[in-house]
Amino acid sequence: MALQCLPLRSALRCRPIPSLRRQTARFASTTPSPIDVAALLSKPTWSVASLLPSTSSSPSTSSTTITSKQLHHLLRLSALPPPSSPAEESSLLASLSQHLHFVDEIQNIDTTGVDPLQGLRDETKQGEREQELGLEALREALGREKVVGRYHRRIRRVRDAGKGEGREGVEEDMGDVMGMAGKQVGRFFVVEGGKKEGG
Amino acid sequence: MNVPGVRFRPLKALPALLNRSRATPRPCYVSKWLQSRGLQVSTAPPANAVPLRKHLKDEAKRKKADAKGLGGPRRDGAVTARLQKWELTVGIEVHAELNTACKLFSSATAASGDITAVPNSNVAAFDAALPGSQPQFQVATLLPALRAAIALGCDVQRKSGWDRKHYFHWDQPNGYQITQYYQPFAKDGTLKLTAEDGVPREDLLGAHSLSIGIKQIQMEQDTAKTSHHPPSNYHIDYNRSGHPLIEIITLPHIHSPQTAAAVVRKLQGLLKAIDACTTGMELGGLRADVNVSVRQRGTTGSLSYSGVAGLGQRTEIKNLSSFKAVEDAIVAERDRQISVLEAGGAIAGETRGWSLGSTETKRLRGKEGEVDYRYMPDADLPPLFIGNDLIDHLRSSLPELPDATMERVQREYGLTEKDARTIVALDNGERLEFMEATEELLQPRLPTNDSLELGRMAGNWVLHEIGGFLTANSLSWSDLKMYPIDLADIIAYLARGEITSRTAKQLLEYANDGSTSRGIGDLIHDLGLQRRPLSDDEYTELARTIMNENPGMVAAIKEKGQKGKIMWFVGQMMRRGEEETIEPEKAKEVVERILAD
Repeated sequence: MALQCLPLRSALRCRPIPSLRRQTARFASTTPSPIDVAALLSKPTWSVASLLPSTSSSPSTSSTTITSKQLHHLLRLSALPPPSSPAEESSLLASLSQHLHFVDEIQNIDTTGVDPLQGLRDETKQGEREQELGLEALREALGREKVVGRYHRRIRRVRDAGKGEGREGVEEDMGDVMGMAGKQVGRFFVVEGGKKEGG
Repeated sequence: MNVPGVRFRPLKALPALLNRSRATPRPCYVSKWLQSRGLQVSTAPPANAVPLRKHLKDEAKRKKADAKGLGGPRRDGAVTARLQKWELTVGIEVHAELNTACKLFSSATAASGDITAVPNSNVAAFDAALPGSQPQFQVATLLPALRAAIALGCDVQRKSGWDRKHYFHWDQPNGYQITQYYQPFAKDGTLKLTAEDGVPREDLLGAHSLSIGIKQIQMEQDTAKTSHHPPSNYHIDYNRSGHPLIEIITLPHIHSPQTAAAVVRKLQGLLKAIDACTTGMELGGLRADVNVSVRQRGTTGSLSYSGVAGLGQRTEIKNLSSFKAVEDAIVAERDRQISVLEAGGAIAGETRGWSLGSTETKRLRGKEGEVDYRYMPDADLPPLFIGNDLIDHLRSSLPELPDATMERVQREYGLTEKDARTIVALDNGERLEFMEATEELLQPRLPTNDSLELGRMAGNWVLHEIGGFLTANSLSWSDLKMYPIDLADIIAYLARGEITSRTAKQLLEYANDGSTSRGIGDLIHDLGLQRRPLSDDEYTELARTIMNENPGMVAAIKEKGQKGKIMWFVGQMMRRGEEETIEPEKAKEVVERILAD
């Protein structure tokens, strides 16, 4: 049975099972013996509930505590309004510490040698070759350039007056963007600048 | 078609974190380019662009002064002593707008440098960051970027990635800029500079050229344009939002302000020659940020940047918009840092700004670490894979780089270094093309002259005579109506001695007034301009004849020193000689020579 699911894991993002990994190592060092699947699957080794902080453990015992100053810094970075009351601030801090517990659990996984997934893409060699931008892909763009000069040869891009063809994914006309303007002067969007405290 | 329910909400005011100094208005350039970070702009235009020939003359003067060991005109003893104690290190980041049809991640038109475009007319859904809009990489933007990387000798990476740089500003509608932070598409290039490019003697250290390392080149998006309308309104134009840029980051190998300005100048010339960035610094197509640090000579600092160790704390000066600004800002910042360190203080790693005409940089932002850009890979975009066949094709079809062109022009056409540099840089290479065509046409007309002589003649006429004609009539090169064959004919007739140089200049005007389509030969024949210019002996003979007839005048000049009467002799010679063959300058020279002995 294929327990060598390491390459597959990166592609499919399997739920990591720490105990199984230990068994993998043990199995690799001995001659492969028949695996008792039923016994393996009868005992749960992990629960989703571990991702949330247990209600019994107090927030102060968790490894990462956030200060009010850090919270305000984060809210400023995210351009979110600061908490309006101490009650709101403590509820924000509590939910943030729950999030951090979740992230801690996730970060406890051993990911040595595993590249972070950036998107679901074809990462096979064949797939990469297909995505490669070579001469063929740029042939049209190269065709829209001309050489000027006979003695001193230079390259110039041909500029067409209106919207030319050959653009990737020409989208449907979305109309005039000025329709989105809350405040405008002529054809400009207007923003009220100046120093304002808070949000 | 209005997207229902979506209204543009002006972004909340900048948090204090990103506060910019808005104390004094900053003069802006003639064009409508405005700074990309919301700094104020006034409408006063101090056009600071120095004409190319004047710049070259200034450089030659400065080099001569250097050679004499006097140092530059601005340096005095105290400053030189200071500079002997402290060493400056500069790194430059240049942002260049690419010459492409579309923007980087949307199919909207990229009208770079087009100040006549209607504001907010080239905006796609992704440029305005409409919810749900997705980026789509436009492959045509690779061409100028790859050419720039190849021209700078970089290693083009087969795989590169797109990352988000998060910060909030009203010119960044998405809330992040898509750049290549973790995996840029080109690394490890070099830029070579010589003394003629403007590198001072001390930097060259006896070598012929200085090599500045290019750390990396990455592609990224440009922001929208904002203009300030006092007291607190900002007008935003999203035409520029999403325009492709390349950021060229040099290693801290630069040790003087003049070298820094020379690097930026050379990069601009290079990018223009390969058609990668056709708008220059004056139009906002090229912007430079510099990082400045000092350390005492002989000591090593504790910090290292980009692998260069032993440097002092650096500060960054953002948004420099001309070569002179680059040089002046570095000088001011260097002096400020030296003053602070000599007084016993420490340099803070901050971001500073420079406005033209000021004497010191101004603090814009605090410590480097204060702005957290939270770089992360962009999940909407696949990684960029560049094929080797494309790189090889672009490398083999790369246009001649300016250095090679200058060297070729000197070698094949016998021009001086200064003339070669001027003609290569003028009018996008059109003048050089004209000169080369003229020289080729001169060869059958003047078979006895060798090609270097012909080249020199052609170069002289194209640069000086036609140049003079254009400036005298306030024309530009594109207004020139004559063809290389006309110029070749004029030079040939002159060189064969069939017309005088005065006639030649006249023919230049005739060829350009557009009223006639006759060739030069026909013009000369029809207007009867064929005049043999007189030789020296003939001038002398004519002068002596007139003088012998007027001994009284001669005596007046010789004994009473009435120099004004020399012109009377010239006038008589002109009247006496065959119509239009006597040149007054030459005649005056001959008369003075005769009277002197």
